[in-house]
Amino acid sequence: MGLAAGGVIAEEVGRVIAPEPVVVTVGLSLGLLRRLCPDHPKMAQLISGEAVLAVAWQERGPNGGPTGASCRYTGGKLSGSKAWVVGAAGAQGFLVLAEGDNGPFLVLAEAGADGLAIENRVQADGSAMGELSFSDTPAEELASGEAVRAALTEAVSDATALAAAELVGLSDRALEIVLEYVKTREQFDKPIGSFQVIQHRVVDLHVMREVAQAGVHEALARMDSEADPKIRARLASRAKARAVTAAKKITRDAIQLHGAVGYTDEFDIGLYLNRALVLSAWLGDDAYHRRLWFEAREEGGEAQ
Amino acid sequence: MTDWNAMTDEEFRKEVRQFFETEYPEELRHLPHRPKFAEIEHWHRKLYAKGWVAPAWPTEYGGMGLDAAKLLIFYEEQQRWGVNRGRDMGVQMVGPLIIKFGTQKQKDYWLPRILSCEDIWCQGYSEPGAGSDLANLRTRAEIDGDDFVINGQKIWTTMAHDSTHIFMLVRTDPKTPKKQQGISFLLVPMDQPGIEVRTIRTLSGETEFCEVFFDNARTPRENLVGELNKGWTMAKALLSFERIFIGSPSLAQNALGQLESFARGRGAFDDPVFRDRFAQAALDVEDHAALYARFADQLKRGETLGADVSMLKIWVTECFQRITELMIEAAGPDGGTIGPLQVGNVSVDVLASFYKARPTTIYGGSNEIQRNILSKAVLGLPG
Repeated sequence: MGLAAGGVIAEEVGRVIAPEPVVVTVGLSLGLLRRLCPDHPKMAQLISGEAVLAVAWQERGPNGGPTGASCRYTGGKLSGSKAWVVGAAGAQGFLVLAEGDNGPFLVLAEAGADGLAIENRVQADGSAMGELSFSDTPAEELASGEAVRAALTEAVSDATALAAAELVGLSDRALEIVLEYVKTREQFDKPIGSFQVIQHRVVDLHVMREVAQAGVHEALARMDSEADPKIRARLASRAKARAVTAAKKITRDAIQLHGAVGYTDEFDIGLYLNRALVLSAWLGDDAYHRRLWFEAREEGGEAQ
Repeated sequence: MTDWNAMTDEEFRKEVRQFFETEYPEELRHLPHRPKFAEIEHWHRKLYAKGWVAPAWPTEYGGMGLDAAKLLIFYEEQQRWGVNRGRDMGVQMVGPLIIKFGTQKQKDYWLPRILSCEDIWCQGYSEPGAGSDLANLRTRAEIDGDDFVINGQKIWTTMAHDSTHIFMLVRTDPKTPKKQQGISFLLVPMDQPGIEVRTIRTLSGETEFCEVFFDNARTPRENLVGELNKGWTMAKALLSFERIFIGSPSLAQNALGQLESFARGRGAFDDPVFRDRFAQAALDVEDHAALYARFADQLKRGETLGADVSMLKIWVTECFQRITELMIEAAGPDGGTIGPLQVGNVSVDVLASFYKARPTTIYGGSNEIQRNILSKAVLGLPG
């Protein structure tokens, strides 16, 4: 299944803000395994949903932001820490990117392995993001060398694109909820959706949604027919930048358009805002991806 | 006669591109203003000899008979090469109306004269009290023997000072319950004592717009197109297809290219804030093009475009404005300077672009009107 088709599923996941690790599994976990060790028994378990593996590939630098890998893998043992691990709480194991003496490794650490400590940081949508630390933690080597880095680049591009699609679905449903609300909520003896100021704001959200849908669909379709990882990464950045911009605007304006009840925990619309916050921050927000996109454009030239 | 529609899209595109690239006069590429007919007459003669003046008209009336897909390609190539549309009100507006609603006699007389540019047309719709609320128009036409006698005023009439004829919406029945009723569509020769044209100078210093005053001007009754008092429905019937063009990406794409070369020359990309705003604008243009392609595909499949096509115009015109505003920022202290600014071997007229972008959110149905349309016709928001 290509990204265009995977995007359709991700959009549906986004529409119902399902707490399922679909994008992270399809994009990252499977994305790494199918490229590096397609015959590993965990592949089948992941596909059937029997097992969930979280991917630990990022690390926190001295100022809190992401940094290069310093987590080490030597003699079958892991040491160091990893950050922003989605689905850490429910995972049976972790796919960990680590540096060995002669380059990068992808290794598998079981959830209950010795020397593994997990700190879960609660996210706006109620999910948890894991901070892992390893101290002589035993782990199984899955792959090593430049292939690991290449597979990671591709898997991150895929996951970024699918997260964009998930945000598109989320925005779509959030706007539907807004439309239902402004058509039924009455003030001054009229539905508030009959006031022009409300109408024009909702129209702007609608245009934002349509542009995001068209842009993300096009980017994913082009990624499917593109082999160059740099161009695929640039397309993924385009998709995520657009999807985050749209989702932020739509979910935040949605709260305003609901008025006071939008700020309560009683209405579904708040769930969309919270999920959008988490999905936007994960794998980079719009400002971050615009920067990557621009740098790639400078490097690759205008024609791609 | 060539059956263009039988060609593949690629063959057709190649043919059109080649003709423009070899035949279009270099000095007329990307003209920054609307030309008078004399300025582009030599190009019109070439188009006329080729039989390409009216791409959308059926072949029986001297058009190319292009289907929607081919028509879109034709216009895309035209914009790509910076080919001026010429004085095309006759071809774009009056011709299709006469073809659809006119009598055989009207077709035989007017259509060949439109193609040859023997008659050059301007559009008399807006009035001082009828802009966004066009149906509020008050210019009267009363029957007097074999003529209509016209009194009133039109405004924003593009290039009226360089036109031989005006097609106009006039009130022929002032007593109807709804103001959309009682409006008729008339063809009127401009060379007569009852018509006075005054040009309006715009912020950019151009004089493309005019006011046209009617003081007992006359036109024969046979110059009524369609039924008396049915002009409003007819004029609206024409809009469906044209609406995609007003939202085409080309204006913003061209401006973005200008912005990029200007900003590079000026070193504006050294500033991370500018880089981000440029990236935003560039992505806005790219994603708009994706949305445009979706509507274009709809046309190519033979579907009629709905009211939602309005969103293309809203997005692209506002984006165009932001791009020209970024040019001014990149110009720094030169941002208020009239005329071309030289950077390296590139010369960019920053203010001309800025001014050109201003009216795009006003004309063709202001963006506020477009939002009203989307709100009611697409989102179904109440009254």
